[in-house]
Formats: sequence, structure tokens, C-alpha cells
Amino acid sequence: MKKYAFNRRSVIAAAFAGISILAVTAAQAADTVTVWCWDKEFNGATMKEAADRYAKLHPGFTINIVDFNKADLEQKLQAQLSSGTTDGLPDIVLIEDYGAQKYLQSFTKAFEPLSDTKAIDYKNFAPYKVALSTVAGKTYSLPFDSGDTGLFYRSDYLAQAGYKAEDMNNITWDKLIEIGKAVEAKTGHKMLDLDLNDDGVFRIMLQSVGGWFFTPDGKPDITSPTFKAALTQYAKLMQSGIYKPVSGWADYTGGFTSGQIAATVTGVWIVGTIKSVADQSGKWAVAPTPRIDGVKGAANASNLGGSSWYVLSSAKNKATAIDFLAQIWGKDKDFYQKILIGQGAFGTLLSAREGDAFKASDAFFGGAPVWLNFSNWLAQIPSVNFGTFTNEADSAVDAQIAGLAKGGSVDDAIKAIDAQLKQQMQ
Amino acid sequence: MMAQAPGKTTLTGWLFKGPALTLLAFFMVYPILSSLWMSLQVGKGMNFSFGGFANMWRLTQDAVFQQALLNTLTLLVVQVPIMITLAMLMAVALNDPSLKGRALFRTAIFLPCVTSLVAYSVLFKSMFAFDGVVNRFLEALHIMDQPIPWLSDAFWAKTLIILAITWRWTGYNTIFFLASLQNIDPSIYEAARIDGIPRWAQFIKITLPALKPVILFTTVTSTIGTLQLFDEVNTITPLGGPSNSTLTLSLYIYQLSFKFMPSFGYAATVSYVIVVLVMILSFIQFVVARERRRP
Repeated sequence: MKKYAFNRRSVIAAAFAGISILAVTAAQAADTVTVWCWDKEFNGATMKEAADRYAKLHPGFTINIVDFNKADLEQKLQAQLSSGTTDGLPDIVLIEDYGAQKYLQSFTKAFEPLSDTKAIDYKNFAPYKVALSTVAGKTYSLPFDSGDTGLFYRSDYLAQAGYKAEDMNNITWDKLIEIGKAVEAKTGHKMLDLDLNDDGVFRIMLQSVGGWFFTPDGKPDITSPTFKAALTQYAKLMQSGIYKPVSGWADYTGGFTSGQIAATVTGVWIVGTIKSVADQSGKWAVAPTPRIDGVKGAANASNLGGSSWYVLSSAKNKATAIDFLAQIWGKDKDFYQKILIGQGAFGTLLSAREGDAFKASDAFFGGAPVWLNFSNWLAQIPSVNFGTFTNEADSAVDAQIAGLAKGGSVDDAIKAIDAQLKQQMQ
Repeated sequence: MMAQAPGKTTLTGWLFKGPALTLLAFFMVYPILSSLWMSLQVGKGMNFSFGGFANMWRLTQDAVFQQALLNTLTLLVVQVPIMITLAMLMAVALNDPSLKGRALFRTAIFLPCVTSLVAYSVLFKSMFAFDGVVNRFLEALHIMDQPIPWLSDAFWAKTLIILAITWRWTGYNTIFFLASLQNIDPSIYEAARIDGIPRWAQFIKITLPALKPVILFTTVTSTIGTLQLFDEVNTITPLGGPSNSTLTLSLYIYQLSFKFMPSFGYAATVSYVIVVLVMILSFIQFVVARERRRP
């Protein structure tokens, strides 16, 4: 009997606790903006900084940052948008530029046209970013970062192998392969780590010669000379043996954060991950992206990724979410200085580029003016139209990587990529 | 009161069947018909239009689909026989009364089936990484002097998937064989022993025929399971592996719906390919395993 009484009391207590939890969530929901993004060292950290700033102006504002793996986020978003129910969708979502047009065209009513609100002046942003998220005259995103690329390397390992900073400046990919062999011979460290299921480095090469998977009007452009030049260079790299094969993102970043790998060629957004290992401060340096030798118009600059914030039409706190983006992301120049130094978030708000941080030197990278360098490289990136089918094109290229690494024919690979892409684009 | 003629259904009967039939209609019949209808639609995302047989024509042109089909059938043809044979041998070994610690071994063999598909796949992925435990072990034993590219080579990636699903599912099938073995009357074996029949002949003439229904059952369920293979390949080789070598039909359906520009109609068509394959293969297995009448 006693036992029964005890149970009943605890049930009632639990019920009250449940009600109070519900009440708390209800109160929170009023001013909580939920955001989906994919890197807690990078875009997650910048979003948190932005929210702290906005909360100072608007007490009561809180943010709920949900951090996923990028592929998972994209697939979850696509699954949910296809299902037609909006429960569980966030207020703001981060979308990579390559996929932006796919979402905007497939799910026409799912995103809020931010250009309708007039709260954001798109003239202040880099025009290419605005164009990426514009459909039928309406702009849907708050443009975020650029995917400006560079060659990030361990200056200490390279010095051991006898290479100075000027030896790394404006080199070709062939030179990088040569350096990589010397570095492995002298220090035992592999130069790069590459994922054989991810053609990111190929996209860097392709855009550095002004090529892309598609023509400006969206037709497949696989048989062009620029595509062949990039794929030939890529095959050479894959056959060079200067890299450790990895599988997946964590494996890839683990390669250099653990100190095992000497360098990586990727977007400026990797700075957040590199800087997350504080005891490697001063041991890193950044050089311009390697270029492809013998191609007209080949630049020592390219782009990988880059993303923007989108507000969902179904957002529960749509007005707050839009105001938050407009007030902080749309005009707070000081904010952009902070996230540049902290996370390497190279924002595309042009007026922020005049700030101090963009001119500062960085002790983590041996006191070099890295941000000024990235600004200069940004201006040299050949501009291309990403189109709607980048995922399909990636998949077609990914299918050929292992074959190319084994010494397969580039011409056959091009034929196969072209056939697969044309088939998938319907 | 009139007695109902057998075979006639009364209103009461229908009332009893009603709820179950309604649920079945909503959750089985409707989705099946709806997906059949969807497989005739074309269009990007949620913008559908009627395409007739366009999706079926697309199947014949789609090299990626054909590769996925070939991969799935390869996995099936290689993995299912290995697993069923292993399961049968283990069951026979575990059924031997002279074996010490049988309960322990039985538990150990069944244990993989308790683990979640994704959890064990993640574990396999890290164990078989380029500098993972398995490669280190093989190098330490001087079996290999170069690490095996389990995750970045087409052949090894397929091998890894076969290893993984064999590890996960063999114990499950062993249980069915064990249960069936325990139903064989020991006196048959005793008689055979007295007649001087060797152990291998006992296995072929007594054990195998007695296990026939279970062999059929495990082969059919394993075939269906392999045709639907998704969790392991999606976790171990998320994008279909090097050169699409581990892209299965289910993974391709997922990519068509959730990774690429969504093409739900075509994805539904591919899923019907699996349905048709399951039907054909199950039918063949039933015909092959049918009891032949003596003349």
C-alpha cells in the first residue's frame, strides 16, 4: 500500500515536471531561431557569434544551432521538402552554392524571397553570390562566404625538406607533386590526403582554368579542352602517390590536424579547422593555389564551395529570422572582422573588406598578411556558372577517380563522364 | 437458426475482417498502387507530369542503373551461397553434443545480429581504413607489405561489403539451421552408424535433405535482404564506393530521390525493378527446391 502511494506521488510529480518543461519550451519558442549548418568550427561558430551580437540588441533572442554533416543536412532537407510537411524544418538553413539552384528550382515555394523584404541591400554583396541565389528576379539568400582557395602547408615540414615560402609561391601542380615527393623522402610525411570518393580538388583545378561541368546556359561541357586539361592534371596527381587515401570528411581533416599530412589545397573556410589545433600555431603558412601548366588563362586562384543562408517560407519565427540576418549578416562590418580572424569566414559583404582584420597579419600563419592575400586571389578567380546538376556531375566524376588513379585513360574517362552526366540530366 | 453453409461469409465475418482489411488497404494496397502510378511520372522535384513508359526507357539507357543492378547481383551470387554454407556448417558443428561450451558458442555466433546495422558498419569502416586496425594487423603478420585499399579500390570495397554482411547475417541463419537440426530424430543417425555409413555420407544423405525447407527459407530471405541492401553500403561507402563499385539498387534509389535533382518517378521505377527481381528469384528457388514426385 505504501509502495502504491509513493508511486502515485512520483507520477504526479513527473506529470508536473512534464508540464513545466512544456511551458519552458513554449516560452523559448517565441524568440528562438533554429539554424541548420554543417561545421561547428566554421559556419556554426560564426552563427553563434552573430546570434550573440543580435541578442545584445534584442534581449530574449536565442538561437538553436543544429550541426550536421553537410551531406546529411542536404539529404535531410531534400527529404523533408519532398515530403511536403514542414514540421521539424528550421527557420534558417545553410546551403552550399553548388546546390542552391537545385533547391530553388525543385522546391519553388519552400524558400522565402529575401529581396521582397527590402531590408537587405544586395548591392553591398559580391554580385556572383547574389546571382547564385536569384531565380526569376528574386533573391533568396543572405550571401555568406566565399570558397576562395589556397595551398595550406606546414611551414616546419617544408623547411625540413628545404623549401622556403618563396618556393611555394605561384607554383604549378607538377611542381607540387615534385615537392611532395621530396617532402616524403626527407620528413616521412605525405604531402596531401585525398578522398577517392570526393572530387573537390578536381573542381578546384577545373575552375582555375575557367572551366566547369556546364556551359553558361546549362548544357554539359565535358568534352571541352579546359575539362580535359583539368582531368589530365588530376589524373597525374592521383597517380603521383604523394597523398594518403582517406575516406570521409573526418578522416580527411584528421590527416592534417593530427600533424600526419604536410599540406592541403582547399577553401579558406578550412582555417577554422586548422586553427582548432592551437599548438600548431606558427607552423602553418598559406600559398596561392597551384595552377595547371600550359593552359591559357590558368590562374593561381580558384574556388571550392562557399555557401549562403536561406530562410524557409514555413519558418515559425520568419520575421525574427529575417531581421536577424539583415541586421547582423547584412551590415555589421565589425562582425565580419571577428569571424574572419576567428574562423577564416571570408564573407562576401564587400564593404566589410575595408575593415582592419582584412589587412591584419596572422600569427597562426607565421605573421603573414593571409587575409590580404586571399582578397587578392579572390579577384583572380575565373567566374563560372555552377548550374543545377553539380551533384550529378560530381557523381559522374567520382565514378572515374579510382580508375584514373590506377592509370586509366583520360579520354575514356571523359567519354564515360559525358555519357553518365547526359543520362542523369533529365 | 439456420446454420451457415461452410465457405459462405456472413456480415459478422466481414465485420471481423473489416478493420484489418481497411488498414491493409490504406498502408499496403494504396502505397503500392500509388508508387506504380508514380513510376509513370516524370519531372523535377514535386513538379510531376505523366511520362508513360519514359522511365522504363530511361532504365535501358542508364549505365549507372545497369552498374547498380550488376553490383547487386554480384553481391547476391557471391555472398548468399558463402553465407548459407557457412551457416549450415556452423550449425552442424554446434549441434554436436560432444562439443564443449556449446551455449557460449551459440551466443557468440548470434551476437552480431543484435548490433545495429549502422553501428557495426561504422566500426567496419574504421577497422578497414587505410591505416586502420586490419591493415596494421596484416602488416604486422607480414601477410601484406602494402596496406590493402579497402575503401578506395573497386574490388576490395566489394570484398569488404561481402565480409561485413556475412559477419552480420551468418549467425542469424545459423539459428534456423540449428532449430531444424534438433528436429532430426537421432535414431536415424544411429541406424546409419550401425550400417557403417561414413560421417560425410550421413551429412549428404540425411542432414541435407532434412534441412531442405530451411535452406529454401534462408536462401529466399537472404536474397531479398541482399537485393534491398542499403544501410551497410551507405555507411561504409556513402557515395557508392570507388568507381560506383558498391552502388546497390537501393542506394541508387536513395540518390535519385534525396541527393540528385529529385526524380521520384524514376526512383519508383527502379524500386519496381527490385520487386520484379525478388519475384523472379523467389519463384526460381521454389521451383528448384520443389519435392519431386517419384514416378
